[in-house]
Amino acid sequence: MSALTLRGITKRYGAVVACEAVDLDVERGEIHGLLGENGAGKSTLMRILLGLETRDAGTILRDGRPVTAGSPREAVALGIGMVHQHFSLVEPLTVWENVILGDTGRIRRSRACAEIHEMSQRYGLPVDPLAVVASLSAGERQRVELIKCLRRDPAVLILDEPTSVLTRAESAELFAVLRRVVRSEGRAVVLISHKLTEITAATDRVTVLRRGRVVFRSATAATDVAELARQMVGREVADAAAIGLIPAAPHAPEKAQGDPALRIRGLTAPGLTGIDLEVRPGEIAGLYGAEGNGQAQLGDVLCGLVTPDAGTIEVGGIPVDLRRPGALHAAGLGIVPEDRHRAAVVPAMSVAANLTMKDLGTRVWLDRRRLRRRARELAAEFGVVAASLDAPLSSLSGGNQQRVVLARELSGDPRVLVLAQPTQGLDVGAAEDLHERLRRCAHDGMAVLLISTEIEEVLGLADRVLVIASGRVAGELRAAEATPEQLGMLVGGGAG
Amino acid sequence: MTRTAAWSALALLMSAMLIVATGGSPGEAMQALVRGSVADATAVSVTLLYAAPLLLIAAGACVSASAGVFNIGQEGQVLIGALAGAAAGLRLALPGPALIAVVLLAGALAAGLWAWLSALMHRLRGVDIVVSTLLMTFVAQQVVALAVNTPWLLQESRLGRATVLPQTNKLPPGALLGSLGGYPGLQLNTGLLIAVAAAVSVAVLLTRTRWGFRVTMLGLNPTAAAHSGVRVTVVTGSALAISGALAGLAGAVLLTSPLSTNRLQPGGSLGLGWDGLLVALIARNRPLLAIPVALLFAVLRSGGSFLAATGVPYYLADIVKALLVLAFVAPRARWGRPAVA
Repeated sequence: MSALTLRGITKRYGAVVACEAVDLDVERGEIHGLLGENGAGKSTLMRILLGLETRDAGTILRDGRPVTAGSPREAVALGIGMVHQHFSLVEPLTVWENVILGDTGRIRRSRACAEIHEMSQRYGLPVDPLAVVASLSAGERQRVELIKCLRRDPAVLILDEPTSVLTRAESAELFAVLRRVVRSEGRAVVLISHKLTEITAATDRVTVLRRGRVVFRSATAATDVAELARQMVGREVADAAAIGLIPAAPHAPEKAQGDPALRIRGLTAPGLTGIDLEVRPGEIAGLYGAEGNGQAQLGDVLCGLVTPDAGTIEVGGIPVDLRRPGALHAAGLGIVPEDRHRAAVVPAMSVAANLTMKDLGTRVWLDRRRLRRRARELAAEFGVVAASLDAPLSSLSGGNQQRVVLARELSGDPRVLVLAQPTQGLDVGAAEDLHERLRRCAHDGMAVLLISTEIEEVLGLADRVLVIASGRVAGELRAAEATPEQLGMLVGGGAG
Repeated sequence: MTRTAAWSALALLMSAMLIVATGGSPGEAMQALVRGSVADATAVSVTLLYAAPLLLIAAGACVSASAGVFNIGQEGQVLIGALAGAAAGLRLALPGPALIAVVLLAGALAAGLWAWLSALMHRLRGVDIVVSTLLMTFVAQQVVALAVNTPWLLQESRLGRATVLPQTNKLPPGALLGSLGGYPGLQLNTGLLIAVAAAVSVAVLLTRTRWGFRVTMLGLNPTAAAHSGVRVTVVTGSALAISGALAGLAGAVLLTSPLSTNRLQPGGSLGLGWDGLLVALIARNRPLLAIPVALLFAVLRSGGSFLAATGVPYYLADIVKALLVLAFVAPRARWGRPAVA
């Protein structure tokens, strides 16, 4: 009897089918991989399991008994626990406080601490129960999440993209712990991921979702990366980086030439210590590192949202006055920031407004006809699919929103293009499309800085890789010579 | 829309029950409301006189709210506008039309500056704008009280042995807003024309100009606005100043319209500042939509003073108003459990 059985789970949002008759069996003592692109229905399925969504049809069986969780609390009672992609810890609280959060009855610190201590011994998850969460690294926070979840003794443990914030070493440690949990305690683990290598390395069986349907299931040992990639996307994909693979053929470096188009010198701001980097016209420079090592802060400086404490930024050899709003844009720096909803777009405004908001002209009155024409041209050129240019931007898919941002940033013919986590949340087709555009930009002589936590993306696109760790540049390698191991060491060395 | 209608019906039902509970008859109260506001030319005139300042204040509130800045100090800005208008009207000797223009302009400028002080405090010391605009209202009330109680400032001149009251002299006739056209019994005051023009201008400003685009962006996503090169402090400050200026203009219009005694008095704002804010709230910050809403509130104002005659307490009109506001705001509230990420 399976620990968890799903039969015919269906969920529709209006005309959109999120899940269509999904069957899934997760056995005790196995790590089951759930693989699919963004938007394939993985998250919806898990949200239904946890009681965060209601299903339109289908049954859920736990140890053969039909169950329905109405809320995450009920799911816990049914023995289903989940570690979310983005941590749900309360940062100002200590580890033990976070772990017991949601318990009822008297709070006993010493007992909670002893319990955490015992668990960290048993699972090999070293963590100090008295530490404040805000002071912990991403890897340590992941351990706290795991302890918090395992303490409720779940029979089924679900992990949603657990490695997105971890270094390679931390990921390896996580998988070792999961193996222990499965082997010695007979729990069932569902590992949700869009990374093929992770699935092949860590799971026993794998189920592939595509457009809400199960398209493939197999024992992991009986399949390979190429097969899984084909099943996940539904066609052959040439762009290895788009499906989270390190390209087999060494990347042919573009010919970078001339003086740097972007030169950052001694950039210091909260979270950044003396960043030095240069990007030349015609090259893609990758800035690689685990999440939370200063990339967000660097992005904010390059967006003009934060004025650095020290350091200079030159675009095209001319220093930019960073206190002036819009100075970087005017100097010829286009940027696609990491969290587009925060800084790059106004979701409630129209697609047309978002396409033209940096180029309103110099007159008091808006030339609405010109703006409209410009928006229409850009939407066509960049393949933005929208019901109407007047529709609010929030009605677009993630890939199309990203195209809007890219179109706007490239419309000013910038010398330098900065992208932070550009393919996060995009499906493979959209990611391929974006990668292709970046290569073309570099080919046409633009200087491209790619800030990414995905090693495959960096190695697949960049000519040169810089590693960021703890807010400083920890090293630099030519992409043709860089190996994941080398990069992993540089990342780990700084991140502590 | 149907939900709003249902909530409004509920609000009206509750109002009727309140009237019954206080010993009145809803039918009579309704009649009084109509009689006082729209039944004849005189009543319509009063209603329109109330509508003008309400609309001006609401149009201003639309500007600041669009920029994501919540100016709730209109009541004080109305007073400051009236004060500056009174000072200009009493102290300057100008020919008729020029005097009116200067009175209105002085009111707008003074209140614009007054509101802008809140933006300045926010810029320099991080003082919350909602709090400072509100508290500045109480300062404004004291400033006006001081002005009308101090003989060498604006207090009325002593004539013989008569006691002087805490108010200014009456403005000269040349400083007053006249009526349009010669309709018998119906006064179509110039103030209403100014207010409608202001509401239309605000609508055009917000949708057709670069500044308006930036204001909208700032209100919807300040981070993205800053990223696209909007000078946040400048746009915030100007939106607040415009909002204050329109409230000040409302104060000057009120001072020079037949609605008031044409003297500055401490309570001279009649609480219209608060009502104007509610008009913008119900109109969901759309200046053109504020025109009919301002008329509705004006009806409640002018009809409300007739309520007392039916034995229903006057303040019931305020309760009806509050219930209506809640009915319009409630459908936008989110019900049920909060979304979990």
